[in-house]
Order: sequence, then structure tokens, then C-alpha cells
Amino acid sequence: MKRSYVIQRILYAVFIFFVVLTLNFFIPRIGVHDPAERYYPPQGGMSTIEYEIIKQFTREQYGFDVSAFQQYVRYLQGLLRLDLGTSLRSGSPKVTALIAQRLPWTLVLSVSTLVISLFAGLLFGTVAAWKRGRWQDTLLLNASTVSVALPSFFIALMLSFYLGFRLELFPAYTNPNMVAQFDWSWDAIRMVFTNAALPIMSMSLGGIIGYSQITRNSVIAVTNEDYVVTARAKGLPQATVLYKHVLRNALLPLATSIGMNIGGLIGGAIIIEQVFNWQGMGTLFLEANSTKDYPLMMGIMLFLSAFAILANLVTELLYVILDPRVTVGDKR
Amino acid sequence: MSRPNVLLQVAQRGGSLVTFVRKLWQHPQGRLGLILAGCLVLVAILAPILAPYDPYDVTQRAAKGLRPSWQHPLGTTTTTGQDIFSMLIYGSRVSLMIGIGTGVALAFLGALMGVMAGYLGGFVDNLIVRVVDIMLVIPTLPLIIVLTSLLGRSYFVIVLVFVIFGWTGLARVIRSLVLVLKNSNYVKAAELAGASRWYIMTKHILPGTSHLIIMNTALTSAGIMVAEAGLSFLGLGDPTAISWGKMLAEAQGGGALLFGAWWWIIAPGIGIFLSVFSFMRIGIVMEEVFNPRMKASSSIYKLFKHLNNTYLDEVFRSMEEEESVVREPPDRSDAPTPEGCHG
Repeated sequence: MKRSYVIQRILYAVFIFFVVLTLNFFIPRIGVHDPAERYYPPQGGMSTIEYEIIKQFTREQYGFDVSAFQQYVRYLQGLLRLDLGTSLRSGSPKVTALIAQRLPWTLVLSVSTLVISLFAGLLFGTVAAWKRGRWQDTLLLNASTVSVALPSFFIALMLSFYLGFRLELFPAYTNPNMVAQFDWSWDAIRMVFTNAALPIMSMSLGGIIGYSQITRNSVIAVTNEDYVVTARAKGLPQATVLYKHVLRNALLPLATSIGMNIGGLIGGAIIIEQVFNWQGMGTLFLEANSTKDYPLMMGIMLFLSAFAILANLVTELLYVILDPRVTVGDKR
Repeated sequence: MSRPNVLLQVAQRGGSLVTFVRKLWQHPQGRLGLILAGCLVLVAILAPILAPYDPYDVTQRAAKGLRPSWQHPLGTTTTTGQDIFSMLIYGSRVSLMIGIGTGVALAFLGALMGVMAGYLGGFVDNLIVRVVDIMLVIPTLPLIIVLTSLLGRSYFVIVLVFVIFGWTGLARVIRSLVLVLKNSNYVKAAELAGASRWYIMTKHILPGTSHLIIMNTALTSAGIMVAEAGLSFLGLGDPTAISWGKMLAEAQGGGALLFGAWWWIIAPGIGIFLSVFSFMRIGIVMEEVFNPRMKASSSIYKLFKHLNNTYLDEVFRSMEEEESVVREPPDRSDAPTPEGCHG
């Protein structure tokens, strides 16, 4: 039963991956019928014959000499060798190399954001649930109302203005030399984190509030369970009840929402990266978009969706393991 | 009480738009949301009358970077001397048009898909559920960026793209409600009387889901306003219009941070906050109206869950708890078969 469920989920994930792959292949090249017209517009004084030769040449160079379906097959063959094609930038770097170069910098932001929002959310949520109805709880409620209605890039701009320009606590823009000069020395690592402070802060705020709300509600639900009442009635210390009885059981909804959020974590940093000019995947994608570098766009989008599909799959499977009450049959 | 009955009860609490507005007005928070939203709509409509200056006038070289004063209530920009208060007023047009327009269009498409999937079942249902699954893992923001820059940066395209990627949430929720509704007595009676499937879907099933649709429209409108601001901030909005996201981008590009022109950043932020806040209030209060047991704090939590489209379960759970309080309506007392219930 369980094994068939696992296999079924994996097959379904592979199916979805193929559909997404196909969409990813065709959507970015809407409008790219002929790369020559897009990338090498006819110059003054060029005869039609000359331009035809250039067109023919670029078509071969970009692989547009065959039909779209053959290009698709070619792309799939490349994918089997983990080759996402070649970027249209000067020097024609490999798409995979570009992604590998930028990914760690995005991970610095997203992993720190995840860790901070998780721990702070757990802390604040538990406090709010424990002090239900008092000012701590009200504060969390009001903070949520405000934070949901404010876009993260507005918060980023305000932080950059007050903490960056006014108080000069952190750099308001990312130091352009940060990536080039990085050499794993202690100073370089410290520089990365002072530069990352403001982006991480502006990204964490929403996460902290979200996880606090989930923790709060789940802790309150568990606190009303009979076994917690029993534990309290036995005269166990508050701390023991909280850690051993309440929190352990309250963490399950949190685990699910982490799994759902991880998928969007890398792609979610696009706007914040743009605000601080952080050289990560988000800015790479925006660069690719503004230069119509479709192989790069396809590669990044494929990477992001593969990541999201994998995260969803792992969450679904973990959920069955973590919560023995879940029956496998009725899950879609 | 079984779960399908609870669902039927949820459906019976729905009503027309007028009843919803009346119920909202009776709720203090709902009244706040309605008044705010109403004011914003008025401001957007009356923008040419209300704005003291021409927001597109970029020739005021003498009035560059003025602090807020009686003449310029929110100061002027440091680059071209545009009056920020007037820009703020004109910006509400874009935000509201995109937010409400997309919200309404999404409601139509989501409801249609959800009702079709739930009522027709079979192949149609399978297809729609698969599409919803795929939409969930597609990196939405990158795709929206790609499509808007490929199809042209007009607001029609932006609304279209938001609708294409946004209907799935509502469709899922509606589908699970319709699966129950279709086993109710009045739908069966209509089927026996020989009504066409389209007639049943539009006249019998759709009204039962109205509360979900209206609530969803308010909440998605709020979400779309934030998303639109983000797109404009990235420079993907309509280049000819003034929008709050674009104002923020111009402020950053124009050195508002460097010159200490805080009014240039705070003004659009307040605009975005007020519009999103008012629509969100309306959505949240609607949830409370049709499920009065829900506390204010937990509806914020519902909003977060709403993003994961799982909040309906929560609603049912809390309604099952009140089963002893609410009496079952006599005319629909026969329980639908449990096969129709979808988890």
C-alpha cells in the first residue's frame, strides 16, 4: 500500500515535470521565430543577399535550422546530459554554469530567511498562544494585518532608507565587489552577511509573521487536547508540558507549510534582489528577460519548477511518515 | 451531522451581493473596509478634479525636490518636480482597475472551472484538476514577467496574465463545494425535471457558491494589487500610466533614498497599504459573516492558509463543531450520499 503510494506520487511528479518542461520550452520563445531578426536587425547599407546569409548563419548557430519539434527533442537530449544550452550573452557561457554561479548567492538570502523566520515564528507564535488574548497576542494580530498589506519591496526600500542611508548601519546597496572578491576568508564572509542583512530582514518579515500565525493556531489547538489537560492536571511544570506535550505535536502544520514555501523561496527573491542589486538568480532572470536571452530564461524557469516539484513531492511523502493518522488512500 | 450537511449549510448562508454588502455594513471592521474602498474608488474616478497639479507635468524645474508643504501636500519629486500628491491620486486608478478587474475576471473563470469540474465530473474534472496541479508548481512570477514582456506592456496583458495564473485557487475551493451541492435534493429535482446541465450549473449550483466567489474576489483583488505594484516596480507595467509601483521604482532610481526624499517613498507605500488593507478587510469580514464562530485573529491565519488554498477544510471543521447549535433545515434533511464528499 505504502510503496505503491510512493511510486504513484513519484510518477505523477515526473508527469508534471514533463508538462512544465514543455511549457517552459515553448513560452519563452513566443516571438522568437527567427533569431536573426531579433538579435541582428538589418544594418544600413546591407544588401538583401548579405542579410539573408547572416540570417541563415544565425539560424544554424541558434539551432533554428530545424523544426520546433526537432529543437524540442534536441533540448530534451541535452537535458539528459544536464545541459541546458548556451546563453546568448557574449562569450556564450553555459546556462548551467551561469545558474551554478548565481545560485549560492540566492541561497545565502533564502536559507537565512527561512531559518530566521522559522525560529522567530516558532518563538513568537508560541508566546502568542501561551499568552492568548493578552497584549502579546494582540500585537501579533495587528502586526499580521499590517505586514500582509505591505509589499515586501516597500519594506525593503524603507529599511534601505532608514537603516542604510540615515543610520548607516548596513550597506543600502550590495557592494559590487562582494562576489568578485569572495575568497572564504573571515572578512569576506562577514562582508557578505553585512550586505545581506537588509535583504534578509525585508524578506523575513512576512515569513516570521506567517509562521507565527501557523504556530499560534496549531499550539492553541493542541493545548485544548485532553492529554495536555491531563499533563497539567498531573502537576507537571509548565515548561515540560510546553516542550514535551504541546510543541512536539504542534509542529506538524509548520512542517507542511515549510515544504510548500521552500519551492517558492528561490524564485520569490526576484524583487528584493532587484531592490538591493544582489547578484543572485532573481537578477540573473531579470537580466535574461531584458536581453531576451531565452535559453537562460528557459534554464532558470526549469530549475525553479524542478525545485518546486521536488519540494512538493518530499513534503507529501514526509507528511505520511510524520503523521501516522494520515491515511494514504484519500489523498489526491 | 455529516460533513455534506455542513457544506450545505455553508452554501445556504450565501446570498446576493446586496445581502453581502448589508451584512458587511453591520460589522464594524467590514464598514471600515467598505468606507475605505468606497473612498478609493471615488478618488480614482474623480482624479482629474481632486488632483491639484498635472501629475504628468515634468517641466517644473523650479519645483524639484520640495518638502511637503501647503502648496505641495506630499512634496515633489527630486528629478522632474512632479507633484507627488497628484501622482498618488492618479496612481489609484491603475491599482484599483487592475485589482478589481482581475478579481472579477478571476471570479468568473475560477467559478466556471470549479463548477464544471465539480458538476460534470469525469474527463473534464480530471483535466481541470491536472491543470490546477501544474499551475501550483509553475514559477508564477518568472512566467508573468516573461509573458508581460513578450506580449507587450499594456494593462490588458497584465490582467490577462494574472487571470491565467490565478484562477486555480478559486476553482479548487468551488469544486469541493459543488461535489456536495450536486447531490442535494433541489439539483436532483431539477435533473429529473429535465433541466439542461448548463441551466443547472448556472441557476442552481452557482448561486450556492456565491459567498465563496464574492469573498475570493475581495481577497484576490487585494493580492493582485500587491502583485501589480511589484510588476510596475520591476518596470513591467504600462510605461505611459502612473502607478504606485512605478512611483516607487522612480523614487529609487531618482535617488530619493540618497537625497533623503522620504515623502517620495512613503506616499506610494501608503497608497498600496490602504487599498490592499481595505479589500482584505472586506474579504476577511465576509468569512466571519458566513462563519460567525471564526475569531478575527484566526481569519488572518485563514488568509495565510488561503494562499495555500486549504482554508476551506478549516471552515468545515469549525462548523462541524457547532453542529449541536444549528438545526438542520427541514427541506433538505435527507443526507446526500457520502460519495460526493471530497476531502
